[in-house]
Amino acid sequence: MALNYDPALIGRVFENTDPVPVSAEMVTNFCQAIGENNPLHSDPEAAARGPYGSLVAPPSFAVTFRNGQHFFQHVPRFGKQGFDAGKDVEFVAPIRPGDSITLSSHVKEIYEKTGRTGSMVFVIVRSTLKNQRGEVVAHVDHRFMNRP
Amino acid sequence: MPEDNTPKDFDQIQIGDALGPEEFFLSKDQVRAYARTTGMWVPRFTDDEGARKEGLPGMITPGNMSLAILSKLVTDWVGMGGARMVRLGTTYRQPVIPNHTITLQGFVTHKNAEDRTAEVDIWIENEEAERLVIGTATVQFLK
Amino acid sequence: MSTILDLHSHSEASEDSRAPLEAYLNWLKLRRAERPVDGIVLTEHRQFNRAADYRALEDRFGILVLKASEVETDYGHVLVFGVTDEMTRRFDFTDVNLPAARVIDEVAQMGGIAIPCHPGRPNVGLCEHYTRKPPLENVVAVEVLNGGSRKGEDERSEQLVRSFGYAAIGGSDSHLVSLIGLCATRFAHDIRTIEDLVRELRQGAYKPVDFRPRRNPVAQPVAEEVK
Repeated sequence: MALNYDPALIGRVFENTDPVPVSAEMVTNFCQAIGENNPLHSDPEAAARGPYGSLVAPPSFAVTFRNGQHFFQHVPRFGKQGFDAGKDVEFVAPIRPGDSITLSSHVKEIYEKTGRTGSMVFVIVRSTLKNQRGEVVAHVDHRFMNRP
Repeated sequence: MPEDNTPKDFDQIQIGDALGPEEFFLSKDQVRAYARTTGMWVPRFTDDEGARKEGLPGMITPGNMSLAILSKLVTDWVGMGGARMVRLGTTYRQPVIPNHTITLQGFVTHKNAEDRTAEVDIWIENEEAERLVIGTATVQFLK
Repeated sequence: MSTILDLHSHSEASEDSRAPLEAYLNWLKLRRAERPVDGIVLTEHRQFNRAADYRALEDRFGILVLKASEVETDYGHVLVFGVTDEMTRRFDFTDVNLPAARVIDEVAQMGGIAIPCHPGRPNVGLCEHYTRKPPLENVVAVEVLNGGSRKGEDERSEQLVRSFGYAAIGGSDSHLVSLIGLCATRFAHDIRTIEDLVRELRQGAYKPVDFRPRRNPVAQPVAEEVK
């Protein structure tokens, strides 16, 4: 079955132009929700003595930043879309309260396979997260599962 | 942090070393708290009835939350000695249904002496020992 | 001289696996007492790497490594052992809807053997397809023991074996290093090459073997359990 999409889409970068500010409260709430009590993420004094020199968010905080709807208008759909099938994350630099995070994303790959729930089309979106200094903090490959 | 958060040292860890197993009861309130704080307040993550309308058995745990739980398994194991998780990958095989006990488990599967990194397998099991989420992570130890 | 092989595994060449082959072999060496596996078969999804040569790793670890494929058909997933160039020319292995009847017959004619895997699994297993389509002819064996099965799936596969008299194999279906070799197949005879494996699979002197740690007991009369 040939998948119907414009091959020129692969690799074309869409910029998310709205930076998301990271507050101390967001980090605290995130830690509480996952039961994280590592002082690097909650105790500024302990964090100051730690490897990052100040309080940082847990690494998994990086996947909570999402592309806007305008991005998904460009991503081909194959029937019922958008189930999160998994992520691959490269952690480059920590995210700290006070940072502003932007995403720059592109469709990396599209492929199909069959599984327990039937036919599936996977769309992999790679997002690069940068902070307000333009430093890369993470790369996140999102695997979205579509059901045609 | 777990009782023993002795920072792990590259030279002391061995292939075959276990992360966990760690059991805990994942509550609906905890899932809702995660959904609220990460801007995912939608029926499938917050409300059984709403989730059923989408064809789910009841409310489910966001994939990102499973990722965060496995990430914590690794960072707790690593301890605070400066070693850093540099990569994490997950595959969501089955929905993680809250109000159940889940078990987190992992193993060290590879060590690279040249760049002082280690690979770990990690997964979440349900009460029937079925693996709901599987993944791997790379930890960079100090040089 | 019997041989125990994990007949179903995925290395990082499969898009959903994160396991380098070397790490698999190292893990088997480490866990030899609990999982006495003599070799593994890499059954990568929808592809076959003709050129890959694993002899150096085999020699280093003393474990046999054979190559095969897992393809997707109109009757579910099928493991193809003894893949030849002719087979990959005849069938597009990336097609997720290959004609199963033709795959089974023509792979056999071309010197290989095609074995439906995880038949008890919804959508991609034979059992469900048999409820609404005629059974396939010329099936020699199916994979009754699969390390990724959920509750009830392997039991359905066993029922299929009883109904149709198929031979039964086992494999881990591992996508993670630490899961290799948990399920395997014990052959009555020596196997050193892919030709040996195809010959033995056709002859039927083998049984699935389960090396998973004992948990809530599930009756598995077809598989040999090892504590």
